[in-house]
Amino acid sequence: MDTYVLTYAAFNGLMVGAMLGGIALGLSLIFGVLRIVNFAHGSFLMLAMYFAFWMQKLGGIDPYLSVLIAAPLMFVLGYFVQCFVIGPLIRRERALVVEPISALLLTAGVYILIDNLALMAFGPNVRSTPSLVQVTSLMVAGFPLNTFRVVAAIAALAMAAGVSLWLARTDMGRAIRATAQNRDAAAMSGVDVPFVYNVTFGLGCAMVGVMGCLIAPFIPITPQVGLSFGIKSFIVVVLGGIGSIAGSLVGGIVIGLFESVASQFVATPTASIFSLGLFILILLVRPQGLMGRK
Amino acid sequence: MTPRFNFLAITSLLLACIALPLVLHDEFLIHSVIMVLYFGYLASSWNLMCGYVGQISFGHSVFSGVGGYASVLLLTGMGWSPWLGALVGGIAAAVLSVAIGYPTMRLRGPYFALTTIAFAEIIRIWFENTDVVFGIQLKGAEGLSVPLIGTSWAKFQFESKVPYYYIILGMLVVVMTITWLMERSRLGVCLKAIRGDRDAAESLGINPTRYTLTALAMSAFMTALGGSFYAQFIRFINPERNMGTELSIDMALMSIIGGQGTVFGPLIGALFLAPLAEITRTYLGGQFAGLHLALYGLVLIVAVLYLPKGLLHPLRQVARRAFAKLRGGDAKGPQLPVPAVLPVQGDAK
Repeated sequence: MDTYVLTYAAFNGLMVGAMLGGIALGLSLIFGVLRIVNFAHGSFLMLAMYFAFWMQKLGGIDPYLSVLIAAPLMFVLGYFVQCFVIGPLIRRERALVVEPISALLLTAGVYILIDNLALMAFGPNVRSTPSLVQVTSLMVAGFPLNTFRVVAAIAALAMAAGVSLWLARTDMGRAIRATAQNRDAAAMSGVDVPFVYNVTFGLGCAMVGVMGCLIAPFIPITPQVGLSFGIKSFIVVVLGGIGSIAGSLVGGIVIGLFESVASQFVATPTASIFSLGLFILILLVRPQGLMGRK
Repeated sequence: MTPRFNFLAITSLLLACIALPLVLHDEFLIHSVIMVLYFGYLASSWNLMCGYVGQISFGHSVFSGVGGYASVLLLTGMGWSPWLGALVGGIAAAVLSVAIGYPTMRLRGPYFALTTIAFAEIIRIWFENTDVVFGIQLKGAEGLSVPLIGTSWAKFQFESKVPYYYIILGMLVVVMTITWLMERSRLGVCLKAIRGDRDAAESLGINPTRYTLTALAMSAFMTALGGSFYAQFIRFINPERNMGTELSIDMALMSIIGGQGTVFGPLIGALFLAPLAEITRTYLGGQFAGLHLALYGLVLIVAVLYLPKGLLHPLRQVARRAFAKLRGGDAKGPQLPVPAVLPVQGDAK
């Protein structure tokens, strides 16, 4: 195997990995704070991709500009999904402890509903959306890298840094972290836990919405695109450690590098079999993930 | 409702099912009814383990796929009767389920569910990308079709759809009887104890792994038989339809919406949801692809929020009230005596 080809694969893997990490950020945050597995995570990504597509097609708005509209809209969507769909389940259970399995089923219902509504509304056709950005490849150290991927990877890193800062510095961020650590203690200290839940869910959706718009220029858009990214995000989150922002990026990069380099030696489907196997192995051997604390 | 009333109701329902093909002559309608019963069967098989232990599996379609492939390959390659092939497939699925279940059983809640998806996806992706293995033609994503080799019971091929109807009806009755017997056996009691509180059950000396794996193997075996039935009935099998995540989710949904951990719940769920799929497919065609699944999603959301015990629970209460009215008794119906301490017999070594 050629060193050049391998290094190139590693570069690509690094970028795809950062992108996967960025997509998984929202899932990790929701998982860490609400302790529920959001099965509909990929569906929100798919919605954002369609949003970018239609904004481009109907309004001529570049996907990179529609990020600015998609993020607040997805925040509102997530806020209301938590408020009206998941909230009642949490309210029904005493002491705000949700039986994890009912929450999983509930979000699975949301996933099935959204994906098939999208299928009905947009049809099964594969769409793609162009961007005004004309330079399709950048030369980095002698390797031609896809501009869109570079942008998505950098945006993922920037978003992770921004959210970490926001969580560390602001009152709302502090309330979210307090709720994640111990919701009863947080509630007793005056934190409005249901509101924190709504904001967290909205924030998670906004983050996945940003990534959805950014990957729309280079990922084919179909109503089913969500589930595969959703499953990848579970793998990334479990690998990196649940609720850890840095872990999400590290997990994403590990999976991206692994699949990209492995697919130089074996067929791509076999590489994805390996990453699913890695997921099972991590759950069985090191359930706290690479970056998580026990 | 007295046991005698239950017995009469079930017997008359069964007789009505047996008599159904005598009045229903439309091939297409019979096909739809077969599909409803097939889903009822799969949901009941899923319920055998998942419903009673309370571990949600989203990977059960793998067992149905293994069963289907075994019976199709044994028929086309070795000329074995599908009946025998289904049995081989069932045993293979049971062995596979123990191999998957042994390491993953200790994972709880969503982690177990996610792991079952991962295992199922690994096996499905492998099947989809493997054309030939050890000289056996799998044909990857393209799938295998079963050639017509004449109509006979031994070959599992019939001109009319009626024999298939009776076969799947019989299978459904068998799996529900097994569920009923299991519920009353020591296995059923232990499974319920594990569902209630695994640590407490373990402290009483119940070995959770042993009982859960037994139930899982039974469940996988029955699911595989359903997979062989489907492959032989449609005479076609491919990894996406027979092993995909969608099929797993369908099984789980019907069981959960109907009422998991009960004998009749999964069937009720299938009777409620499967016709939705058939009706939208028939009357709307490809116009609104996805409509029935969107409805499934909506029903699941409503069921989790408002009917956590499934549809069977309110239905049962309505029936109980109506029955009490018929007898002129009080509206609450007969009250079951509730023991102060739930007895868990044996097993405390």
